[in-house]
Amino acid sequence: MSHTRDLLVRFVLVGLLVLGLAAPPAGAQGVIKVGNLVDLTGPTSDQGKDIAQGRIDAVQYFNEKGGVNGKKIELVSVEYGFQPPRAVAAYKRFVEEDKVVLVLGYGTPDTEALRPYITKDKIPYLSGSYSGHLTDPRQTPYNFPGGIDYTSQIRIFINYVKENWKDASRKPRVAFIFADNAYGRAPIESGRAYAKEAGVDLVDEEIIPTVLTDATSQLLTMKKKDPDFAYINTNTQWVPVVLKDSYKLGLKTKYVVNNYGIDERTPKLAGEAAEGVLGLQDVAYWGENVPGMKTLMEFHQKHHPNDTHASPYMRGWLWVIMSVEAFKRAGDNPTGESIKKALESFKDFDTWGLTPPFTYTNEDHRPTNRARLVQVKDGKIVQLKEVSVDRDMKWIGK
Amino acid sequence: MAEQIVFALQLIITGIAVGGVYSLMALGFVLIFKASAVVNFGPGELVLFGAYVAWATILPMKLPLYVALPLTLLVAILLGLVIERGVLRPLIGEPIISVIMVTFGVASVIRGFLNMTWGSDTRPFPVLFSQEPFHLGPVPVSPVHLWSFVGVLGLLAAFSLFFKFSLTGMAMRATADNQQVAQSLGVSVKWIFALSWCIATVVSTLGGIILGSVRGGVDFSLADLGLKVFPVVILGGLDSVTGAIIGGVLIGVLENLSGGYLDPILGGGVKEVAPFVVLVIILMFRPYGLFGKVEIERV
Amino acid sequence: MQCGGFRTSYRSDERIFDTAVPIVGVVLVLAVLAVVPRFAGTYWLDVLNRIGIAIIGALGLNILVGYTGQISIGHAAFLAVGAYATAILEANLGLPFYLAIPVAALITSGFGLIFGIPSLRLKGLYLAIATLAAHFITTYGIVHWESMTKGVLGLMVPTATLFGVPLDSDARVFYLIFALVIPAVFFAKNLFRTRVGRAFIAIRDRDVAAGVMGVSLYRYKLLAFVTSSFYAGVAGGLMAHHSRILFPDAFTLLVAIDYLAMIIIGGLGSILGAIFGAVFMTLLPEVLKLGATSLTGVYPNAFGLIASTRDIVFGLAVILFLMYEPLGLARIWLRLRSYWKLWPYAY
Repeated sequence: MSHTRDLLVRFVLVGLLVLGLAAPPAGAQGVIKVGNLVDLTGPTSDQGKDIAQGRIDAVQYFNEKGGVNGKKIELVSVEYGFQPPRAVAAYKRFVEEDKVVLVLGYGTPDTEALRPYITKDKIPYLSGSYSGHLTDPRQTPYNFPGGIDYTSQIRIFINYVKENWKDASRKPRVAFIFADNAYGRAPIESGRAYAKEAGVDLVDEEIIPTVLTDATSQLLTMKKKDPDFAYINTNTQWVPVVLKDSYKLGLKTKYVVNNYGIDERTPKLAGEAAEGVLGLQDVAYWGENVPGMKTLMEFHQKHHPNDTHASPYMRGWLWVIMSVEAFKRAGDNPTGESIKKALESFKDFDTWGLTPPFTYTNEDHRPTNRARLVQVKDGKIVQLKEVSVDRDMKWIGK
Repeated sequence: MAEQIVFALQLIITGIAVGGVYSLMALGFVLIFKASAVVNFGPGELVLFGAYVAWATILPMKLPLYVALPLTLLVAILLGLVIERGVLRPLIGEPIISVIMVTFGVASVIRGFLNMTWGSDTRPFPVLFSQEPFHLGPVPVSPVHLWSFVGVLGLLAAFSLFFKFSLTGMAMRATADNQQVAQSLGVSVKWIFALSWCIATVVSTLGGIILGSVRGGVDFSLADLGLKVFPVVILGGLDSVTGAIIGGVLIGVLENLSGGYLDPILGGGVKEVAPFVVLVIILMFRPYGLFGKVEIERV
Repeated sequence: MQCGGFRTSYRSDERIFDTAVPIVGVVLVLAVLAVVPRFAGTYWLDVLNRIGIAIIGALGLNILVGYTGQISIGHAAFLAVGAYATAILEANLGLPFYLAIPVAALITSGFGLIFGIPSLRLKGLYLAIATLAAHFITTYGIVHWESMTKGVLGLMVPTATLFGVPLDSDARVFYLIFALVIPAVFFAKNLFRTRVGRAFIAIRDRDVAAGVMGVSLYRYKLLAFVTSSFYAGVAGGLMAHHSRILFPDAFTLLVAIDYLAMIIIGGLGSILGAIFGAVFMTLLPEVLKLGATSLTGVYPNAFGLIASTRDIVFGLAVILFLMYEPLGLARIWLRLRSYWKLWPYAY
């Protein structure tokens, strides 16, 4: 059984760890070092595993093709269990010992924590965190969120509500349901302000713990305010709990979920309760008909056909594709500064079709303002239409 | 006014339903303590183990339910034996802090082992219960919760009878009371320990299956729920099966009531911390809980 | 060469160092510490800084758990109070760090006093569970008292300055940390020569007898909590300056468990044990990381698998130490030392 063989291989590898300790680090000549921060054992480990795999695969792919400007890319990977202090230590190591020129970052709390260091060290930091707080080059010139930022997403939600509200007799009522951590809270303040601006009634905010098993009491409280729409800002693992409890309670509220909360797995995890739920998609799903998907799928099938490949896997590839392009543009001896400038030269950069084209400028580090609205129909995710919000500079950095 | 009552009722009934799951986990804890006076500080990992094994036998291995479930329970029994024989037995007689730490160690190893074997993705849990809610009057309850509550009551009955009337049950109670005397009366203490751990792992596995169904998916955060066990067993009494059940229900209700009434005022998170506040209060005034045996210290 | 301990006066019995050799050893260690920042890279300085902080924290916990026998799983909460108090005192009240850290430590001691009260009624397991609850309640308070602590968004710590020199690099913080580690170690060592320390040990060994003998359980148990949390407060304050930004995530239950592991693996009731344990637990993940990274260069897909080994190695370390060497690293060190001292004799 190949599964047993896999298991055996894994355990042998652990034994090899001892040998690994004796192995000397790879040579430094003709190599571009990239720091890689991932969570494989903490609360976001289910995303982290796919993200890590995507990054590793993409780097391997590019190296097999000869690298960038004749140099191979070397990933210096550190697992940090979503604990910010470990991320800070890893970052220090990336900068001092490994002398990386770019860091592939991960979570919101640690990315936000490292902002002053990143700015001081001038190391471009491409993060899995799409927090709005990372988008203002005046504050954080070296932070580059790797996808449409959470603040833009919540603004898209509010615009959607307004556009689809037909009852002229009253304003639409919305609620925010978000996780009790830096990631969940990131867009909420801006969301409140924008709701006011847009003339939408924010009637309720429900906080759910990072690790969620039962949302009944929060939903019961929300039910009293009877919102028409609610925005959910937490991870894919826990959104199903909210949806299931909502279904059980017979709530009429329509849900919109952010990009990290909904993907191909949601219909299976939430079952019946997911029907009709809307969400925002930032990156292509597995098997979608975009130019780059074929390459990805071939590589995946060739190397580890039995592994999982949900949308975080695509994100892993996406960020490496972006990095490689930045290295190319930065020329023969890429430094932190030259890579930053290279990233800021991205204008409608085609990410193999995995996302809408990315544009960074030296005034605006939001890669895109476009996403796709998706909906769960008959147990599958169906893509409805593209949605976007204008690149209002008022919301930069918030 | 009626709306207020319905709201409160909904919270209470949900609390009872959710509490059933806590009771199940607490039962695992109490059983180990009752028989061997060992405190397991890693109940969450046992539940996690059960959930993963259940998932693994049903989905990737595609075994039919009537094979998968007994197989899962069998694996759980094996785990109990391994833990007891390999780790706890050498530590009999060591100070309690060592025993507490060793259970942390075991929890860590289980966690790492699961991560290594199956990885940390969220796996959708097989659908064992329907999603359509039952309606108890105006209050909807999900079938999972209902069944787990029924199951817990069944276990309560079974274990109460077991401990009171069966020979093995009495032997367990004797062992917890005084190992030496029990041994001198012919009770095989080693076997009792093994049995208690096996029952505990089996019960935790059932808890894992329930939690997996409630969540919709298994992933590592399931283990974090394990710590909720402590308010339950303190409230109910560390060595009382009845206490575990009633404690679980009470804590579930308390959580939901504080969540429903205090969260909006205090801004969230009260639901999670309320059980621990209760824990402290109980420890100050009635440390042995509602049904626990009062320990008299002998000098 | 000494064989056994031959004391002729109370004074010599109380001495910290029996012979000249340990004194020379300590002086050497201090000398090395003084020049390390010159040579070490930022990464290793960071590790050493974390070790220093861990030593102080572990010493505190050892005083409470190892010497007084009061089981506490709430250490992370005390560290958190110390860290946040320091940061808030400096940011909001403008206190310089050499005032902020002691004041924060005093605040933490007050905290320790409150959470020590259950110890007057509870023992062993029940106390452990009470401290567990204390941990969650404290964490809740920190996360939700956002006006002061900025909750989950993180609290920035102002840079400490000493005579106008900002302590913003790991090398400079290193000196600050070890300037506090040394007195911490000596204070702890000295504590157990005094009657307070002996009262602690008496409570651990046979508290009822101690009470009968006239040791006020009430006073000394609380004092143990207060002292232990003072240490934790200092460690927390140093953490604030080391990481420069504070998150509630840095103070999870796992941290408390790590500290318990430190003192158990190091050796309960031993100052040297606390130091060894702190070094061991801090270096363990680093060693694993090194192995993982060099292996990843060879076999990229190994990365994911190595990550889970951390949990397994940690768990196994705890289990194996408890099974085979319950008295910890300190005991192993003692055995090595006596072997060295007494060779070729067996004892």
